[in-house]
Amino acid sequence: MSWYRQIDWVTFLTWLFISAIGLIAIYSATQGPLHQGTHIQGNFTKQLLYICIGIVILIILHFTAPRTFQQISYLGYGFALLLSFATIFLGVEVSGEKNWLPVFGFRLQTSEFLKVATILAVANYLTSRRENQAGTFRTAITATLMLFIPVILILIQSDTGTALVFMALIPIMLLWSGVPYGLCLLMVSPVIIGYLTVIDYVWGLLAAVLITTIFFFLEKRPLLTFGTFLASIIIVIGVQVGLHDILQPHQRSRIEAFANPALDPRGAGWNVMQAKTAIGSGGIYGKGFMQGTQTQLRFLPEQSTDFIFCVIGEEGGLISTSLVLILLALLLMRLLGQAAAHKHPFAQLFIVGACSIYLIHVVINLGSAMGLMPVIGLPLPFLSYGGSSFLANTIMLGICMNFYYHQRDFSIYS
Amino acid sequence: MRNKSSKIRSTVSIRVLQVVVGITFIVLLGRVIQLQLIEYDTYSPISQRNSIRQEFISPARGLVYDRHGQLIVDNQPTFTITITPINFNRESIPLLSEITGNTPEEIEERLLTARRYSWHRSSRLFTEVSFEVFSKIQENLWRMPGIGHQIEGVRNYPATVNGSHIFGYLREVNLSEIERNPAYRLGDKAGRSGIEQTYEDFLRGELGTQYVTVNAFGQEINQFDSGRHNEPPLKGSDIHTALDIELQSLAENLMKGKVGGLVAMDPNTGGILAMVSSPDFDINMLAGRIDAEYWRQVNSDSLTPLFNRAITSIQPPGSTFKPMMGLIGIEMNIITPQTTVFCSGGYYRGRLYRCTAEHGNQNLEQSIKNSCNTYYFWMMNHIAQRGGINVWKDMVDDFGLGDRTGIDIPNETRGIIPDSSYFNRAFGVNRWGIGDLINLGVGQGAMGASPLQMAVATSVIANGGYRVQPHIVSSISHADGSSEFKSTAKERIEWIKPGPLSIVQRGMRGAVTDGSGRFYANLRDVEVAGKTGTAQNPHGENHGWFIAYAPYDDPKIAIAVLIEQGGFGSTSAAPIAGLLMEQFFYGEIRRPWIIDQVIRKPPAPSAPSATTTPTIQVTTD
Repeated sequence: MSWYRQIDWVTFLTWLFISAIGLIAIYSATQGPLHQGTHIQGNFTKQLLYICIGIVILIILHFTAPRTFQQISYLGYGFALLLSFATIFLGVEVSGEKNWLPVFGFRLQTSEFLKVATILAVANYLTSRRENQAGTFRTAITATLMLFIPVILILIQSDTGTALVFMALIPIMLLWSGVPYGLCLLMVSPVIIGYLTVIDYVWGLLAAVLITTIFFFLEKRPLLTFGTFLASIIIVIGVQVGLHDILQPHQRSRIEAFANPALDPRGAGWNVMQAKTAIGSGGIYGKGFMQGTQTQLRFLPEQSTDFIFCVIGEEGGLISTSLVLILLALLLMRLLGQAAAHKHPFAQLFIVGACSIYLIHVVINLGSAMGLMPVIGLPLPFLSYGGSSFLANTIMLGICMNFYYHQRDFSIYS
Repeated sequence: MRNKSSKIRSTVSIRVLQVVVGITFIVLLGRVIQLQLIEYDTYSPISQRNSIRQEFISPARGLVYDRHGQLIVDNQPTFTITITPINFNRESIPLLSEITGNTPEEIEERLLTARRYSWHRSSRLFTEVSFEVFSKIQENLWRMPGIGHQIEGVRNYPATVNGSHIFGYLREVNLSEIERNPAYRLGDKAGRSGIEQTYEDFLRGELGTQYVTVNAFGQEINQFDSGRHNEPPLKGSDIHTALDIELQSLAENLMKGKVGGLVAMDPNTGGILAMVSSPDFDINMLAGRIDAEYWRQVNSDSLTPLFNRAITSIQPPGSTFKPMMGLIGIEMNIITPQTTVFCSGGYYRGRLYRCTAEHGNQNLEQSIKNSCNTYYFWMMNHIAQRGGINVWKDMVDDFGLGDRTGIDIPNETRGIIPDSSYFNRAFGVNRWGIGDLINLGVGQGAMGASPLQMAVATSVIANGGYRVQPHIVSSISHADGSSEFKSTAKERIEWIKPGPLSIVQRGMRGAVTDGSGRFYANLRDVEVAGKTGTAQNPHGENHGWFIAYAPYDDPKIAIAVLIEQGGFGSTSAAPIAGLLMEQFFYGEIRRPWIIDQVIRKPPAPSAPSATTTPTIQVTTD
């Protein structure tokens, strides 16, 4: 088979297509008359540059031996942790998040690269264990720790969104470590129950009942199930108490604004309201390129980064938004399909990890933009402006494509 | 090597993840469809409202002219800073505070008020800022989303008159008024007294609206749809008053330092030529942003400058009531014009009711000219004996006393003309008698009238027995060019017959030529008729009254002057009326020494006097 047939052209073209849509949206969000002279005006050309660099990265990664990734995984992880650690002290604060490290005149968002390094390391760790060891509890704890150290480092940089990404990765990665399904469920349940409780404690209680029921059928241990149920109830009560007694009024207002953005549209709910308005007012066909009033008149906050989807929604309408969703779904499904077909567990696990990161980003970003969850600032993969995030995501994709390209060579390594 | 179960497990996990991805994207797609397809109708107008702002343009308030067309109230441009709370960011408060010089707390408070009014509409944050502040705000507008500016008008009084009680002042409307009347916006001013209050709906005009495209910082980009939807403001209607600015100006000067009220009116139409209440307040001080210190001072002054004495002060009219009594006596068949009463210096009925002198035999005309009390005590005794008090009251009311005249400025008082039920209320049934009524014959005791009411009564005598409607405003010119005129219809008082009336008029003419008015009110070229009065004041110096009209045979002006605690009406009130007559007929003052005398007269310190309590002893001149 000729070499170019082994390249995953579908993935590449999907990536290129998505990035192009993002670039067009960034153009519209930054080149309008009202954006003249603002600091975001240069975003378009920079993003164009990042896409070019991305193509180069994809090419280079195809020439790399897949084994290299295994070999450098721990080193990369350590280096990324170090960089992240340095960011805490040397970092520059941009809009409340101190997660930018100035390197050679560039500002690097180290947490983005930490994602790549971490899933590489965790995938390597979990798949290089011997079978009898893999299922042990110790492995699970170690893997969890490997994911949890970045969480702490990133939380210190007050980047809640990225920290959430790592936390969400914990149960997904643990599925592979041989930990019982029930335990995995147990580890995710507090987040689910807590989130639903914020919306309404009835939902929280319902979730608690549902999760304990599933847990009972998975583990068949009545006593543990009862304990789980008790713990769930405590979470519901705890969140309720925390919401009403512990949180400061302004913090609570932010959470309440999520539940009802119309309450204080200019305050905490402003972003959600404007984002929903932008998308909703786009209709089926959109207002046209550079014609979106929400975008062009700067009602949308962070419109070239976190709320890029709103620009697409407003100016491109349902046609564009559904196209973006389909392309993203296509990319993820294709990668996951490749993972399922792949013979090597390291490649499988890395692809799953990468897809999980993309998915979490998509869920949080679109969930925020469409008012499905509280606003948490996370970029939309390949669409949002931002060098670090775009390049880190592209590197992950490149590694996935590398595994596909080299999948025949894998057998000899394992 | 991984065993089979592990392999199956990872494959299952990937399938699970694929299902999760599938569900997630279906949910997201569903949400997009919900927002863009189903809720499009909800969000599309929101986005339009977002980018299109409705702005209000305040109309120019109507102007006020005097009877000769001279401008007396107009508007002067001022600079206003506005705020739209929804676009405002609290972070701009320090900058705003720095520019305007107001404390952040103050701004915070005003922001809260603005929010209570509306989140989405702009309201005034600061009015009448200096041009310097205004231009600084303009420069920094882009740093303060939600802040705007506009140029508005504030009342200005170009004429030499103060007219504070006639024009009235404006104050900002409160939130409950805004709720009641959607024509108001926060920070709008509405008339709170005088004609500004009565004619508020005419003077105000209609708000204009314009639609402008704005960005999220509240900065205007351009007119929406080339201004096709804009509505220009409708200017308030102009008001033409019956006032004579020269006369008003002189009257104000003459009343300076005194406590009292004065009304000069056209006896044929009821148009008010001049109206003064003293002390007054400086209307310019209340025109713009109100100086809190001045406002407190005006409000706490024991002489109550805000109180319009010309229409609210109620004092017994004293001898000025005698001409009316004469007409009533004839109509009630107590007297004929020829009836004489012998005055021996008083009238004895249970006790002595004093007269000012021993007048001897007096007929009606003489009794007015000489202001003989005995004549009227005697007459009132007969009315009382016949049980005629209620008939008497009805007739007195016909002159315009005892009830509101309906003048077009607010807060007029009714005055007091008692009837039997009044005495029953005041003293108790059967606890009052003829002795309580006799004083009424000389305008004393349980009765009171305002200068305006006395001016109306004087007009009735002057114009041949017609009730006129006193009014400040004679016509209103609307912005569309149309006008409406105040009705000047007068109503004939049937029972006043020309014969008796001419005798009373002669008596009043005599009072000016030979009686107590001869010193100050008797003009050389104009025949003035009048009557002085001194109302007894148990709390201090007596109140001086003077009513007059001229020319005697074809009246053009009727005047009533009340000087509280001024002593004799002949020396306190009559000179003022005399000078006003000179100004009115000659256009100049021919006896300037009287001005000096009037102005030099030391003001009588006085608290606002309530209605005089019924008193027994009487002195009238």
